[in-house]
Amino acid sequence: MAKLPAPQMLIASRPDFPDQRWLDVKPEFTPGTFCYPAKKDTMEILHMPNPHEWDPAADDWGLPENWEKILCDAFADRLEKHRSLKLFMDICVRCGACADKCHFFLGTNDPKNMPVLRAELLRSLYRRDHTMLGKLLGRKAGARKWDKNVVKELFYYAYQCTECRRCSLFCPYGIDTAEITMIVRELLHEVGLGIHWIMDPVKNCSFTGNHLGIQPHSFVEIVEMLADDCETITGIRPKTPFNKKNAEILFITPSGDVFADPGIYTFMGYLMLFHELDLDYTLSTYASEGGNFGSFTTFNMAKKLNAKMYAEAERLNVKWLLGGECGHMWRVLNQYMDTYNGPTPANMIPPVSPVTGTVFHNAASTKMVHIAEFTADLIYHNKLKLDPGRNDHIITTFHDSCNPSRGMGLLDEPRYVLKAVCNNFIEMPENTIREQTFCCGAGSGLNTEEIMELRMRAGMPRGNALRYVQQKFGVNHMACICAIDRATLPPLANYWAPGVTVSGLHELVANALVMKGETKRTMDLRQEDLPGADGDEPADAPAARGEGE
Amino acid sequence: MPEGLDAISLSPLLYKFIHITFYGFTESMNALECFRGHKDAILRLWTEAVYAAYPMETTDFPQTLNDPFGNPAGDMTREAALAVYNAVAGEDVTVENIKNALERFVRLRAVQKGTPGRSMGVFYLMKPILRERMLPRLTAMGEVDAYLAAESRLDSLTLLAFDMYMEARETVAESRIKEIRNQYAQLARWARALKARTPAAG
Repeated sequence: MAKLPAPQMLIASRPDFPDQRWLDVKPEFTPGTFCYPAKKDTMEILHMPNPHEWDPAADDWGLPENWEKILCDAFADRLEKHRSLKLFMDICVRCGACADKCHFFLGTNDPKNMPVLRAELLRSLYRRDHTMLGKLLGRKAGARKWDKNVVKELFYYAYQCTECRRCSLFCPYGIDTAEITMIVRELLHEVGLGIHWIMDPVKNCSFTGNHLGIQPHSFVEIVEMLADDCETITGIRPKTPFNKKNAEILFITPSGDVFADPGIYTFMGYLMLFHELDLDYTLSTYASEGGNFGSFTTFNMAKKLNAKMYAEAERLNVKWLLGGECGHMWRVLNQYMDTYNGPTPANMIPPVSPVTGTVFHNAASTKMVHIAEFTADLIYHNKLKLDPGRNDHIITTFHDSCNPSRGMGLLDEPRYVLKAVCNNFIEMPENTIREQTFCCGAGSGLNTEEIMELRMRAGMPRGNALRYVQQKFGVNHMACICAIDRATLPPLANYWAPGVTVSGLHELVANALVMKGETKRTMDLRQEDLPGADGDEPADAPAARGEGE
Repeated sequence: MPEGLDAISLSPLLYKFIHITFYGFTESMNALECFRGHKDAILRLWTEAVYAAYPMETTDFPQTLNDPFGNPAGDMTREAALAVYNAVAGEDVTVENIKNALERFVRLRAVQKGTPGRSMGVFYLMKPILRERMLPRLTAMGEVDAYLAAESRLDSLTLLAFDMYMEARETVAESRIKEIRNQYAQLARWARALKARTPAAG
């Protein structure tokens, strides 16, 4: 007589585990665990190698006939080209310092999400072809051969790494697992394997300059709409200069801030700030995207997409570049831009703030300044009139976005600005902020909705720290300086710490900014009622500080 | 041995004797106190059973570090274990408190790989532990009803957790839709404005 199994049998504890070694356990491609594949048309039009239709859930991925040779040759080529990669392949001693530092591992407990083992997926292939021991001893020396399941495994785990580099921080040798992931993705693209969420924006950027592929006239009209919104809130319609030749500054920001909620409020913040400063700047319809999904594809693609910044700086004859709040854009700028696209056009000079006279020596080479640095300098020199009381309904914390924090060391400037525009600021626990910050769980082109549950578990360490300060200190807001964060943190916060809102830094700056000649503010940038605005206090309230004090 | 005083009927007396001798329990000892006395061991066994459902190589990790931020899954499991056990034991708890203590754990299970049954069935991993550790003792104390009530409370908790699990899954589904809308919010607004100002054809 058949019997139902007991609950503990259904839960399948130890006895049901596969008895193979970890390298032999293959991932299951179930919905929610993988991103949709890039379309063949997209790959073709971008001249990507071996474009084809394929389905990650299918057995056969339709790899080209000589796929193994393509991959082996491409790997050898990358080892030759990037000395760092060869070093990273050789040097790991498997100390395990990185093992529990990855947010994907903490959320999934999948051993191959330990950075050491994720890298081992490639390292085992390296050993077979590029080390004497591996050639002689094979598996005994940790080497393995390529097969189609290995390709699938590389795909599965290369897209379960957000290239956040938290693991690198703890590696005694400084192995950059993010770069290993970048190389794996690059190799996979050689056999036509890419994801839609990355390749579609890459295609759009290639043809129209921004991720959604918005044409210049539409781009301008959307920005105009946002300027109208600013007028509704403040009574002042900020300027929206586009493609203005000989402007002092070209401002480039991720296009997500123009199209996506809640990024638009940050963009409105930029417009209001620049208007108030009467900054001689311009936006560009050609360089209409700071984000660079090419950096999640191949180094060459990243270089190609980034080239528009200097090309436009040259065409418009600007002196220097100001960059908006973005994550990976700043990693590309800070780490690769010099070698990708440098030297800068002859018309560019080391950035000098026209308001304070501060010379940004740190940007002497790239000639590009982060807006958090720019605004922190303004506040330091007392150039802004601020009423932080307008943000009093907010108890905010700050999420260090991986790339600006770990990738370029931008830790104190955003905090300095935030504390100037908000009276209530609370840090999350020490091992979850600054250099040790936890990723939003969806960076590096993984901010797509089909893997929402994967994102929720990968973002769990961040959500957990946020929940802690929410419950302990009543935190109800999280500021950040990354456009992907502004898209990915709202669902993460809604899942792990419901009730916490997310915004960019300059949304809060503009909320607090007392503009010359503005009408009394009764609403914030989201056009929501400003608490306490019913009182009789004039716009230039005594609480305002800064210029004019 | 006088008739009727066999080993089984003697066991409650023996049990009380042993506990009064070794644990200092008095005549007022009851099921709740008995549960309290075995709390640490059962919590440990249940959390180990939960961790054992993770892949072999990483089973040990959640047990190693007590940092709630360095090892959040371990911390969530321990918090849930305590809440579950207190409720099962019959401590004075409110549904609101239990839900709060279970929330992180349930939300984690709701997005980790696994079927709903596997995700929420972990609560039932406490049953064999209770049956091994508590049932003989409570039977010996003549508190079988109290034991059955405790198991029923575990069933209730699992149902409560399942409601929370479904709520979490619905949040994930809603997030997908909301995110798509947000990504194109301004584009859609612009398109509507464009349509409104375009003269009607003809």
